[in-house]
Amino acid sequence: MEVLLNLTINGIATGSLIFLLAAGLTLIFGLMHVLNFAHGALFAWGAYFGVWIYTQTGSFVIGIVGAIVIGALLGWLLERWIIQPVYTNTMSQIQVTMGLLLVMNECIKVFFGPNQVSVQLPSYLDESWLIGGVILIKYRLFVIAIGILVFLGLQYMLKRTRLGLIVRAGVMNKEMVQALGVNIKKVFLYVFILGCGMAALGGMLFAPYSGVIHAEIGMDYGILAFIVVVIGGMGSMVGSALAALLVGVLGAFMTFYVPSVALAVNMLLMFGVLMFRPAGLLGRG
Amino acid sequence: MITRRLASSRWWIGLVILLLVGFPFVSDSRGALILMTQIFIYAVFAMSYDILLGYTGIISFGHAMFFGIGAYTTAIFLHRWDHSLLSFLVSLLAVLVLTGIVSYLIGVMTLRLKSHFYAMLTLAIAGLFLVLAEKWRDVTKGSDGFTFYIPDLLKDRTSLYFVALAFMILMFFLLKRFTDSPTGKVLQAIRENEQRTESLGYQILHYKIIASMVAGLAAGLSGSMYAITLRFVNTAVFGTNVTLDALLMTIIGGVGTLFGSILGSALILLVHAGLTDLAKIHWIFERWMIFFGAIYILAVMFFPQGIVGMFRQWRAKWSKG
Amino acid sequence: MMTLLKVDRIETYIDQYHILQGVSFEVKKGGVTVLLGRNGAGKTTTLRSLMGLNPIATGAITFKGEAIHHLPTYEIARKGIGYVPEDQGVFPDLTIEENLKLAMRKTDEATLERRDWILQLFPDLKTFWKKPSGLLSGGQKQMLAIARACVNDNELLLIDEPSKGLAPIMVDKVMSVIIEMKQRVTVVLVEQNFYMASTIGDDYYIIDDGRTVHTGMMKELKENEALKKEYLGIA
Repeated sequence: MEVLLNLTINGIATGSLIFLLAAGLTLIFGLMHVLNFAHGALFAWGAYFGVWIYTQTGSFVIGIVGAIVIGALLGWLLERWIIQPVYTNTMSQIQVTMGLLLVMNECIKVFFGPNQVSVQLPSYLDESWLIGGVILIKYRLFVIAIGILVFLGLQYMLKRTRLGLIVRAGVMNKEMVQALGVNIKKVFLYVFILGCGMAALGGMLFAPYSGVIHAEIGMDYGILAFIVVVIGGMGSMVGSALAALLVGVLGAFMTFYVPSVALAVNMLLMFGVLMFRPAGLLGRG
Repeated sequence: MITRRLASSRWWIGLVILLLVGFPFVSDSRGALILMTQIFIYAVFAMSYDILLGYTGIISFGHAMFFGIGAYTTAIFLHRWDHSLLSFLVSLLAVLVLTGIVSYLIGVMTLRLKSHFYAMLTLAIAGLFLVLAEKWRDVTKGSDGFTFYIPDLLKDRTSLYFVALAFMILMFFLLKRFTDSPTGKVLQAIRENEQRTESLGYQILHYKIIASMVAGLAAGLSGSMYAITLRFVNTAVFGTNVTLDALLMTIIGGVGTLFGSILGSALILLVHAGLTDLAKIHWIFERWMIFFGAIYILAVMFFPQGIVGMFRQWRAKWSKG
Repeated sequence: MMTLLKVDRIETYIDQYHILQGVSFEVKKGGVTVLLGRNGAGKTTTLRSLMGLNPIATGAITFKGEAIHHLPTYEIARKGIGYVPEDQGVFPDLTIEENLKLAMRKTDEATLERRDWILQLFPDLKTFWKKPSGLLSGGQKQMLAIARACVNDNELLLIDEPSKGLAPIMVDKVMSVIIEMKQRVTVVLVEQNFYMASTIGDDYYIIDDGRTVHTGMMKELKENEALKKEYLGIA
């Protein structure tokens, strides 16, 4: 029983991290029809630069803020110079974002060396409580809390703000949004920046969670985020949140009981969804 | 006019082949010979990718799986059975059967999807093969890989050079034949306008599966040859980088031209070799992928027609006056 | 009367197809100008070109004396042009309230006043205020689309086939609303329904094969059987 509970909490925490990555991916795809293969690279950049700032300043919070700022800044640059010129060309778009993933991963190796970097938690987060045989690790709860906060924040943004209104309308009919006098390109930029900021935040939170980071986490977690977005339904925020939890918890149990097939199970899950319900569990067809 | 241009292009293809055949007699550098051999083999892999990207307009991020299947199949045959020429030839047959089946199954299941999802799914499937190769240690020896002996005939670097050259030339003409065939024309029509081709009564899925099978078979063979040149195989053959190499070579050389893939393969492996040498001077050159990645992104954005395409454009402008 | 909109020999390509091959017309302030023509003649493309959704290749579009054809769609809209597309373009998952809110570029006194005026013209919208607009009937969607186009202080409305797929009683309703709106805005109307076009139109242009081929007052066209037969296929 304790094991089950621990694994579940563990899985929810991992799910929260994946959600931070998947939320941006699904938002960007839903609105802009851009599948950003480089999205995972933002995760890795967030982790590396966040940790670097954290070790330089000694403050974990500044590290988190720094990661978000770097992510947002990169998002702005990428959208403006790389994504925008290939908006309408799907083929170029897929290729360019994949190339971007490659280059950004290599850049990390140039800046920080090819070896993995180990990360320590600040002491105030590095605690755990033992309650009736269940170990509650403070940092995991912290990650879960941030995941929930971001989810609620996104829901608020989508449902209650003008930006959210435009985003929801833009998903349905971009031409009409523009014909009503809205500069949708500006909204694309905001959404892209938001997505990149969340990805970088996810990476930064991941770093002390896993204890070590390496350049390939961008690719690994990028694929996980894709899986989540496909399962949840492209463009569906709630779907992504649920799928992230599913993949997170499933992954935690799988790595515990049958570690050799953990990754394969996720892939098969995505495969099944794409085969039988291509729009995803909560997506519209 | 057309026949003359065709004749002239035949003429310089002949010249290139002649130069390549003469190369081992002029150069006595073992390193250069090995490098050239690799260029030929990678050229076939890149050409197989061009069938998908350049001729059909499909982006796969999992093409490495066929390369890897080829490499492992041949390696396992030579390692487990014996290292005779017969064993090698049988392994090639096995590669054709295996890659044929795999590419057919994957094609049937995934080619229905839209381009984004197809790209993503092939990335994931190639990832599965990588995991499989790492976990199935009894056969693959995991990421450490294993070495094996190759048929005596191929041991000599010069004869391997000629075999690889013959392999490339053969594959070039076979694939050329394929792209010029009625089926190849339909593929190009799909690339240009899928809906319209469909409305003309062609079964898009059917043709796409053919394209992915042809590409898979050719990629598998190039994987076999690759294993032979290394006399070693490990899980790296399934890596995403392998697919990206093909993508890079095809894009930089020029998509939809086949010949561009050969050029791209030569360019990238030569520059790679040069940069690896430079890495002794400064470590930044070890990260050569950055340079290629950046060039690749710029190429996709600004020169989507690649070297061969640019050359053709330039020649067309020139002959117009 | 002052010329509000001047369209001068515009040509538009969609992919490789040469859809508009020289469309010219003028719209006077305060009237209803109807674009007539067979299916596929280029009427819808003309409106889309005006909105910048299918940018023109050559020619000029002048609105209130200012060239607008090089502007992006959203800036054209902000100049004071409202657009009601053929499929109404309502956002099905958004409620009526949200659809209107999205359209309102300002929330000042005048805009709110216009909104209330529209809601009084279309009481149905008020009834289903919090319903997703995808659940509305065709006529109600049409009303919402028109409401959305004139909630801002637009001077020109482009309306594409408002009668399409509507029951006759709804056609009358939409017609009466457009007549009511004439007091406030100028309208360019694409319409196949000749009854509607001839009832509310002041002047007309006939577009055929991507060109404006004929123009005149609606009153005269009603009498001219030969012309109607030639270009509109109605006897």
